[in-house]
Amino acid sequence: MDIRQIEELLPFYALDALTDEEREQVEVYLRKRPEARAQMEEMRSAALALPYGITLMEPPRRSKDALMARVAADQRVRGSSKQEQPSRPRVMRLENLFQMFSLGAAIAAILWAVVLNSQLSQLRKEVSALGTALVAQSNSIDQLNNSVNQINANTPKVNPSNVITVSLKGTDTRPQAQGQLIADPNSRSAVLVIAGLAPLEAGKVYQVWLIEGSTPRSAGFLAMDVHGQAILILNSESVIGSFDALGISIEPEQGSQQPTGDIVVLSDL
Amino acid sequence: MRSRELVTPEQASDEILTAQVARGNSAALETLYDRHASTVLGISLKVTGDRAVAEDILQETFWRVWRSAATYEAQRGSFTSWLFRIARNLAIDTYRRQNTRPQAVPDMDDTDSALEQMPDPGMDVPQQAQSVFVRRQVRAAMKSLPQVQRQVIEMAYFYGMTRQEIAEATGEALGTIHTRARLGLQKLRDELDREEFEG
Repeated sequence: MDIRQIEELLPFYALDALTDEEREQVEVYLRKRPEARAQMEEMRSAALALPYGITLMEPPRRSKDALMARVAADQRVRGSSKQEQPSRPRVMRLENLFQMFSLGAAIAAILWAVVLNSQLSQLRKEVSALGTALVAQSNSIDQLNNSVNQINANTPKVNPSNVITVSLKGTDTRPQAQGQLIADPNSRSAVLVIAGLAPLEAGKVYQVWLIEGSTPRSAGFLAMDVHGQAILILNSESVIGSFDALGISIEPEQGSQQPTGDIVVLSDL
Repeated sequence: MRSRELVTPEQASDEILTAQVARGNSAALETLYDRHASTVLGISLKVTGDRAVAEDILQETFWRVWRSAATYEAQRGSFTSWLFRIARNLAIDTYRRQNTRPQAVPDMDDTDSALEQMPDPGMDVPQQAQSVFVRRQVRAAMKSLPQVQRQVIEMAYFYGMTRQEIAEATGEALGTIHTRARLGLQKLRDELDREEFEG
């Protein structure tokens, strides 16, 4: 935009009727030309006179009331903290302030102590309950440890690489009986699993025998479940591999020194 | 020790009252309202042509004075220049937003208006007399302009129309609008000087 075009804008600048871009261009132009600024002031003063010639309109009372109500509300929001206090000596105000602070601090301290005492009592109860629970859990742990030790003591010490399984068969008396003996021949323990043996009448038990040559040695009793099954861990004074056969017989409840009743299972090892 | 001259709110200048408004003095705002509300409403009504809208603009104008009084700088112009500019801009914004044509309202040529002689109620008697006198001066100066020049000036000032919009609305060349605006303002200034206008 050249100078002539900018000068054409001057009346509209005075009338405040330019776009923002045009206004900026005029202002740049005016800053460099004092004579143009003087001319502009003449036109602006004429433009600023225009509102004074306007026809007056009496505003309704409600407009002022609404404005002042809005202002009052704004004052309450903005100025509540700025409202002046009644005039009093500053020292007195500070003294009262200190007293209020001291009283407040004392009340706060008492409340704090009450709260702390209550919390302490509650914590003590909780600690006591936790102690009881801890003792009970310690006992449980001891019991579990004992159980584990017992199980470990009773569990055959086997070398997995040497474990053999021997199938067991019922005799003609209990042909449905069958089972397995799982053992490391070099160990003194084995696991016997038996099925197909009916529960016995009262006063009778199934007694297990490990037979070396012609000499049977009692290896324990079977506790059959309702399905005719039983598992027994055998412990022997000799290694399992030293025995020639395994037999199960029906014996009196207290057991026998050697088989006396029907032999229901007999298998070579 | 200098004695302090007591000045009632009614006697205080607009600029002093504005400074008080900036400090949260609502009574000062009320005094300014009483002095200038009828002019602000007149400007708003001239631009919008809607009385209810003009009353809303009146309230909004003084609300902005209340909220923005601290930003007013007396060295950059009179309070009334600032106030009327707020009202005018609000009215023009409303007018443009509503996209309505200005309605026929009494303009500066309507000397028969019953309100022409109405003084601003917030002014004291000398101020009221001065206000009426000033209004007559401006009306006379505007009436002295050729109608085409007065039209361009009013379209630009009261309706915020750009020179291109005025050219389009009047069907005149842009250069013609430039010339009418320049000559109109020059003549208006001359007439106001001749009448010793002191707005």
